[in-house]
Amino acid sequence: MLISGHDGGTGASPESSIKYAGLPWELGVAETQQVLVANDLRGRIVVQTDGQLKTGRDVAIATMLGAEEFGMATAALIVNGCIMLRKCHLNTCSVGIATQDPELRKQFAGKPEYVVNYFMFVAEELREIMADLGFRTVAEMVGRVDLLDTRSAVDHWKAKGIDLSRLLCVAPRSDEVATHNCMVQDHGLALALDHELISQSNSAITDKEIVNINLPIQNSNRTVGAMLSGTIAKKYGESGLPENTININFSGSAGQSFGAFLAKGINISLEGDANDYMAKGMGGGKIAIRPPQGSNFVAEDNIIIGNVALYGATDGKAFIRGKAGERFCVRNSGAAAVVEGVGDHGCEYMTGGTVVVLGNTGRNFGAGMSGGIAYVYDPDNDFSNRFNPGLADLEPLKEDNDIESLKTLIKEHQDSTDSEPARKILNNWDKSIESFKKVMPRDYRRVLEAQRSNTDNNTEVEKHG
Amino acid sequence: MGKPTGFMESGRTPPERRAANERIYDYNEYYHRWSDIDAKEQGSRCMDCAVPFCHMGCPLGNVIPEFNHHVYKGEWEKALKVLLSTNNFPEFTGRICPAPCEASCVLSINSDPVTIEYIEKEISDRGFEQGWIKPEPPATRTGKKVAVVGSGPSGLAAAQQLNRAGHKVTVLERADYIGGLLMLGIPDFKLDKTVVKRRVALMEQEGIQFQTGVNVGVNFSVDELLSNYDAICLTGGSTEARDLPVPGRDLDGVHFAMEYLPQQNRRLQGVDPDPTDAITAEGKRVVILGGGDTGADCLGTAHRQGAEIVHQYELLPEPPVERPDNNPWPQWPSILRSSGAHEEGGLRDYNILTKSFSGTDGKLEKLHGVRVEWALDDTGRFQMAEVSGSEFEIDADLVLLAMGFVHPEHGGMLDQLGLELDDRGNVKVDKNKMTTVPKVFAGGDMVRGQSLVVWAIAEGREVARNIDKYLVGDSELARTFPG
Repeated sequence: MLISGHDGGTGASPESSIKYAGLPWELGVAETQQVLVANDLRGRIVVQTDGQLKTGRDVAIATMLGAEEFGMATAALIVNGCIMLRKCHLNTCSVGIATQDPELRKQFAGKPEYVVNYFMFVAEELREIMADLGFRTVAEMVGRVDLLDTRSAVDHWKAKGIDLSRLLCVAPRSDEVATHNCMVQDHGLALALDHELISQSNSAITDKEIVNINLPIQNSNRTVGAMLSGTIAKKYGESGLPENTININFSGSAGQSFGAFLAKGINISLEGDANDYMAKGMGGGKIAIRPPQGSNFVAEDNIIIGNVALYGATDGKAFIRGKAGERFCVRNSGAAAVVEGVGDHGCEYMTGGTVVVLGNTGRNFGAGMSGGIAYVYDPDNDFSNRFNPGLADLEPLKEDNDIESLKTLIKEHQDSTDSEPARKILNNWDKSIESFKKVMPRDYRRVLEAQRSNTDNNTEVEKHG
Repeated sequence: MGKPTGFMESGRTPPERRAANERIYDYNEYYHRWSDIDAKEQGSRCMDCAVPFCHMGCPLGNVIPEFNHHVYKGEWEKALKVLLSTNNFPEFTGRICPAPCEASCVLSINSDPVTIEYIEKEISDRGFEQGWIKPEPPATRTGKKVAVVGSGPSGLAAAQQLNRAGHKVTVLERADYIGGLLMLGIPDFKLDKTVVKRRVALMEQEGIQFQTGVNVGVNFSVDELLSNYDAICLTGGSTEARDLPVPGRDLDGVHFAMEYLPQQNRRLQGVDPDPTDAITAEGKRVVILGGGDTGADCLGTAHRQGAEIVHQYELLPEPPVERPDNNPWPQWPSILRSSGAHEEGGLRDYNILTKSFSGTDGKLEKLHGVRVEWALDDTGRFQMAEVSGSEFEIDADLVLLAMGFVHPEHGGMLDQLGLELDDRGNVKVDKNKMTTVPKVFAGGDMVRGQSLVVWAIAEGREVARNIDKYLVGDSELARTFPG
């Protein structure tokens, strides 16, 4: 568990966040420690804190309030030359730290040794304080609020009228209750559904034989498909297996991160619904999700998968018969997805891939989207109100290859999920095209055009060559 | 704010200077003005750092990134407003400040700093040209009377601040001109005297009364001072020059810089010195002792007067050109500084100790010196040792002593007021700038020892705020020093 205090944060964050958001980590760590100890849960987890920790003294105080891991960033940057310009987001860091500009990067004067040196000093100071207090290990020291010398702070005039006793009290406990992390967490990996998937896929993995698997699923089955994908990746690397080698049919309600990191050659079909992070980091597999046969609700009006689906996906396809939650396809860099509606912030920070939305979107669609293409079906012609035009433009569909690739995807969606909206759109295709808006990142278009003209030039050279 | 990529696109380009071999034939200032485009470009180099070290470098705490931004945007009047919010006299500091702000500019870590000082000059020059700098008399008067003794930059800043707070201010100056070293010390080619007189005239229009020829303790009694005013502000400067008590010191031709420089400034105001006292470098072999700013002022003046040859000797070793490792940014860099006067000629030499002067018929003919070496002793202090066999002599008709100032003049006014002094011989003040005598305050070089004009202005502002607090209980004048 990380208690991240208000003082820290990136120099790229807006001033409103830097100055007016969050609370001191001291409050969070103290409360966390007291609550966890009171409920005999402290032994099970590691508590980390950060937020302008800079010295061994800071670490000692954080430890005594209840943390056992510590994050330090600002000071480590400072020892390497950071001068807190707070321009990390502008590519103009004059000391060459937060910039990709080759000229500015030449100005970087830091060395790894400086960071090592800095942390040696922090550790040394912490050691001195520990020696003073009689602690041999950090573990002994965790939660020892009773040994904090608090008077001078509380006596400060600014602290007048503030009662810190609740912050500085030691949680009552019996002797057998742990005050620091001392249990290794059992992740229940042995019970993961993937072991079953791997054993049933054995012949596919060893001999690339086609296998078909039918299994029920429930929401305690998390990250289903990831271990299977790992097994495939170990043997075949990124190229995976031939398409549709492993075909899995699930029915039920899938837990978090369903189909995460799904490898090429795995084809999952789910009748039911899925939780957050579906297809997170998907690397080439295929997922189709639709409601159970015989459901009496209108699929395209209901949410079928949770938030942040296809986060950071790099390849593969997903067909969603229904709506997705928020942040659909954030940081997608290569996957293709068809969905019948999305929540807020769809395609945020997307850098590649294709997204087709056959229904409504939430606000802030395409914010920070620097690559890839999204096609949004917008018969009411009001999508522009919910679109973030910062990096991308909206344009009508004109080019034949655009129209063709869109049609192929929608067709595949219909085939995979028996989608009603897809059928309607395809039945009236020539008219439907007019209602599609193409979301085109400006830089992406520039790159595509440059690539195209390069190709043209190369062709020319070959002709004359 | 500002232009994020400005510093990557444009280099540091101060305004051009008139050629050295042209300007030594007159006493006019030698910096040209920027074009609009050049000025904006220089303003655009400011990075608007989230943690701007220039604020810390500047004794006045000038809000530098803000006025740079306005200059980049061409918003000169706004820039002026920002500048005047912390600095009473940017037309002085824009010309003669060694710019500690630039030494602590974040850009100077690995590049050339923003031309902050020249930007400051350009803003104030435009402010006067456009008529934006106007007298600002107070809306109401408090009925309190304050005397400011000494009209250097510290006294002027204190007077202006006190007047703006509504007090009736009288500035008493023993010399024949208002302005202290601004008027009689700094040569015209660095600070044209019309600039000083223009400011004094403005202050008169604001309601400040100036009286010259009033030497408190000599022709104006301290009792009168104490009984006529509700508070006294002493800003008399650090005027006791460091002497060189070696054989031959009393020969004709060995003078303090501050005997020499004021004469030339007065000549340019049309007041020639008595021929028997006149000191000039014309046709002479000149040796200046002291490698600081006063020495450089003597150098430039001597060349303009037509000196045959000018040597400038410094006791300390030649400083490095670049910052050494033990003197990192954002500290003030102890490096070799060449002022405009050094571009115009003269021979600089270091590690030289003057042993004696000699001459005939009471007239100086030679300086006898020896080279010295500096080394760390066991206690970690630098100690000087003469290099045996390095004794030398040099023909000289005029020797100017520019070796700094030790403290204010003791005796006289300070004595009669019964003020305590600190260990260095400066006037002792408490944290509210009050001396050991009630209602008598002091600031500037008189308190902190010889320093920069920018420090004098900062001190003047701070002493004014404390006097205001003393007189009316609270002060709305801006705070200049942290704390």
